[in-house]
Amino acid sequence: MRYIKLIGLFLKANILVELEYRANFIAHSLVSLGWVSITIIGTTVFFTQTDTIGGWTFYETLVISGLFTLMGGLIQMLLQPNIQKIIEMVRVGTMDFVLTKPVNSQFMASMRYAQLFSLVDVIAGGVIIAFALGRIGFSPDGLTLLLFAVMLLMAVVIVYSIWMVMATCSFWFVKVGNLTELFNSVYDTGRFPVSTYQGVLRIVLTLVIPIAFITTFPAQAILGKLEPGMFVGALVMGAVMFAFSAWFWRYAIGRYSSASS
Amino acid sequence: MGRKYLALFRSAWMLSLEYRAEGVVWMMTNLMSIIMLVVWLSISHGGPVGGFSSGDFVAYYMVGLIVRQVTGVWASWGLSDDIREGALSPQLVRPIHPIHRHVAANWAEHVMRLTMLLPIVAVVLIITPDARLYLTPISIAAFMLSLLGAWLVSFLSDYAIGILSFWTSQATAFTQAMQGLKVVFSGILAPLQMFPAAMQGALNWLPFRYMLAFCNEILLGQTRDERLLFGLAVQWAWVLFFFILVRILWKLGARSYGAVGA
Repeated sequence: MRYIKLIGLFLKANILVELEYRANFIAHSLVSLGWVSITIIGTTVFFTQTDTIGGWTFYETLVISGLFTLMGGLIQMLLQPNIQKIIEMVRVGTMDFVLTKPVNSQFMASMRYAQLFSLVDVIAGGVIIAFALGRIGFSPDGLTLLLFAVMLLMAVVIVYSIWMVMATCSFWFVKVGNLTELFNSVYDTGRFPVSTYQGVLRIVLTLVIPIAFITTFPAQAILGKLEPGMFVGALVMGAVMFAFSAWFWRYAIGRYSSASS
Repeated sequence: MGRKYLALFRSAWMLSLEYRAEGVVWMMTNLMSIIMLVVWLSISHGGPVGGFSSGDFVAYYMVGLIVRQVTGVWASWGLSDDIREGALSPQLVRPIHPIHRHVAANWAEHVMRLTMLLPIVAVVLIITPDARLYLTPISIAAFMLSLLGAWLVSFLSDYAIGILSFWTSQATAFTQAMQGLKVVFSGILAPLQMFPAAMQGALNWLPFRYMLAFCNEILLGQTRDERLLFGLAVQWAWVLFFFILVRILWKLGARSYGAVGA
């Protein structure tokens, strides 16, 4: 309960900050829409030459483009600002203020900031998914929507855990910025169904850096093509990665001797 | 002039060594074109797509990586900052036009990135069995000429946008829009032959093709003879256009800048 109240407070603070930079909001929206159109053009070009990629039709692939945009927006909105802040706090030494607060330190460190204007990407992603589903003529029933919601939640948990682990690395390494850049590059593979990629690459993208769980599998869920094994796999993957990120965080702050003392 | 350039080049080289990590990051952003390549390969598995065999796709994107490193420009960002913060004033009184500092910085960065990239590209081209380049004396000479032209079109158009900072503080928004258009219409994303036939005419006249795809096509042997001459003519017409544009804008801008008095 206290945590929900805190989230409300954080949100209010973030909105107040955002309202000060309204021109920024418009500029960012335009840039976002530009990138969304590049994503869509990139997908469309393939389908001028072929009917399917990796066994996915154009509108099915467009669902993936939508999820790619939506999750990218969530990452920029909720994860990137906090992770950058964590890296900075460890370097400057203000992490102590977080650790001394009477709430879970991981919660406090990873939920405090939000870049609200990235909401544009989340909405754009949702619109693309709805549009593509409309063109396919598929209206998901209650169970499909429920499965999709769970898969989406797991996708968020998995992305969150990956980012948390990267941020935690900043307790040992100063230049974690490169690590997050590496993740962003790998995340780019999520534009297309994981079945497009062959051999080792597909295995890596499914099990090692599980991008498949972030765009491909949720897309299969909303299209009503989810296999039970993937659903269980997503639950296990989400639970394991979250548990690891939480353990790694506790391990790191246990060994952390503040910069100021 | 040569000695001045050498000095500028050396200082820019030192700076770029300092920020090597950012060079690595820049490399990573090339990953999107690699991903596009991988998807093309999965499609062209059964046979040529739009006239491209698997080997052609590999050759196209590998040459594209090189051309992109050479034509990568970002001078407008620095120029915008300099104009806004007044750091341009001391540069204006130096006996050398500020554009030369940006050119030197640009090339120091290119040389460094190419030394990292060329070996990788060479290995990929050698181990891919049917990735063939069309190498004749004429095609190589034409490629070098088109590469110079591609860099000039990219750099001068970018610089022209940067100069707009004399009048507006939002010039970098134009830069970003330009970069976005470049990603799609210059052939970074996909070979321009893959675009719908209705767009081909416009693509041939717009400057974007001449920032990248044109060079690739020459080295792949897809653009030869009269089409090659036509392309070179259009490309260098754009070079001339942007050169004159930069000169005029700079003259107007520097005058109004002086009036503010810094």
